[in-house]
Amino acid sequence: MIWFTWRQFRTPATITAGALAVFAVVLLVSGNTITDLYSSVATCQSDCGNAVDAFLTQVRNGAGGTIYNAALAVMYAAPPLIGVFWGAPLIAREIEAGTHRLAWNQSITRSRWLATKLAVVGGATALATGLLSWGVTTWAQRIDSAAADRITPLVFGARGVVPIGYALFAFALGVTCGMLIHRTVPAMAATLGVYTVAVASMPLWLRAHLMPARHETPALDMGNLDALLIDQKGAMLVEPNAVANAWTVSNQTVTSSGQPFTGPADLTRCGRSAAIRGCDEWVGSLGLRQDVVYHPDSHYWPLQWIEAGIFVALAALLAAVSFWWLRRRLS
Amino acid sequence: MTDPVLRATGLSKRYGRRVALADCTLAVPPGRVVGLVGPNGAGKTTLLQLAVGMLAPTAGSITVLGGRPGSGPAQLAKVGFVAQDAPTYAGLTVAEHLRFGRHTNPGWDQAFAEERIAQLDLDPTQKAGRLSGGQRAQLALTLAVAKRPELLVLDEPVASLDPIARREFLRALMAYTAEHRTSVILSSHLVSDLERVCDHLIVLTASRVRVAGEVDELMGSHYRLTGARRDPGDLPAGAEVIEHSHTERQSTYIVRSLVPIDDASLTVEQLTLEDLVLAYLSRPVAPHRPELETAR
Repeated sequence: MIWFTWRQFRTPATITAGALAVFAVVLLVSGNTITDLYSSVATCQSDCGNAVDAFLTQVRNGAGGTIYNAALAVMYAAPPLIGVFWGAPLIAREIEAGTHRLAWNQSITRSRWLATKLAVVGGATALATGLLSWGVTTWAQRIDSAAADRITPLVFGARGVVPIGYALFAFALGVTCGMLIHRTVPAMAATLGVYTVAVASMPLWLRAHLMPARHETPALDMGNLDALLIDQKGAMLVEPNAVANAWTVSNQTVTSSGQPFTGPADLTRCGRSAAIRGCDEWVGSLGLRQDVVYHPDSHYWPLQWIEAGIFVALAALLAAVSFWWLRRRLS
Repeated sequence: MTDPVLRATGLSKRYGRRVALADCTLAVPPGRVVGLVGPNGAGKTTLLQLAVGMLAPTAGSITVLGGRPGSGPAQLAKVGFVAQDAPTYAGLTVAEHLRFGRHTNPGWDQAFAEERIAQLDLDPTQKAGRLSGGQRAQLALTLAVAKRPELLVLDEPVASLDPIARREFLRALMAYTAEHRTSVILSSHLVSDLERVCDHLIVLTASRVRVAGEVDELMGSHYRLTGARRDPGDLPAGAEVIEHSHTERQSTYIVRSLVPIDDASLTVEQLTLEDLVLAYLSRPVAPHRPELETAR
């Protein structure tokens, strides 16, 4: 049965291995260029901020920038592609072609038939995305540490162990959809839809709550403002800068009693004719605080493992549903 | 061994409200070639899929070779099944199908399978998707018999084949069963397919078993009676009317009778198997005594 599953899976596996090999060559070649550029940062003794900025500018303006974006796209595309092209057809195509009636009447139980398929193709899923994520994470290590943004949502989902969890989930989702829907193309569409909702909901609503975020209310630092806006009626919006090397979940200016600060502005200090410095001094004298919730970089690995664990658990749950359905309902 | 190869008691299968098979009670003796005949949609496929464990019954019970169908590897090994349209893996070669069979069946007889493939003149390197319908059916049959089953179940094996392929397939099947004494259940909606190969018959219409029994006994207990127009009540005692037709002067009855009919006023004829089956197929579903049409 292992031979047979491999025989059926051989073509997609070969195509994927080829694509991974090509991508690996691109990463290897451009990785050397990035290492060369990074030497100025590595050897920097003082005032390293400029060296870091120069490094990032050089990388982004060169081929490295294109590859960086392509790698992000590949990391986000790989799991749903696996779900759609490896997961959904795995059972649906057999049912569609009627070959499950051939397979289920050999001297092996259909549970073993499914278990072998899940093990072989699921193993390939973990291996392929593991290698891909390891390659990309390693390649982007210098850029990520220079930009200090590996915990921000976009980068977070494309590095480390999270993509493996996404891919296993997508694969199990595809298998389950195929088993419930019985037709390959609708199962592919359902897989893509459910996967997109599940994965997008992580950064949008769920990830910030996977572990307690840091909540701080320091005094407002007028030298660290991202924006200070006043409209004609005097309503104000004071936005402090996001926390460096962290994922800032929420960030606002509050009054000393904890209410969000919205003005009104003292138009004699902040009006059109008043000096800008005067307005800054006035805002600074109000005793405002910054109310910021963020995940520091030290939360990166705990969050990675928790999120990957959640998706692996979901994949296991879907696999259990598949087995149950195969034994109880698909008859 | 006299235990039935298949025993069904009150066997029913429903899909929601649709009844696919209703209250089927059967005992199929071993060593027979059983023909399961009925129109399309009568429940033949449902009964066969219940027998191989592809389906689970809604009510009632079915045992095949003493075990619950599909209950485990040992049970699966005892039953060979060729599903309707003989599904095969289009992208796999003939040889790869045999390898699949070898890897998934402990009792697999590779020499026998290869010999069959050679006899059938199939190219082992040919992809199954490029075989003709007849060749594909033969490949599916090879997979089913090379696992050395005690019971072979074939669902409409020849329905999609042209007449020559049909004859070839049935000939190959008969050669196999004659040599290996395997019990066979095969379904068809055409009696002519089954006439020469079956020694036991099950007629299924509208999800119910109409009649089941040894072909010889069925042939010996059904008669066509022709005579002057008369009511069913005037037929000899013990004759169960299966079908009747009337002209102005004459009545024709097809009856089942366990005792020989001896009535000088009737012409008694033997039926062909096809006539017998057709009589049952045209019998109304709700059993009631047919009455003479009086309206003119």
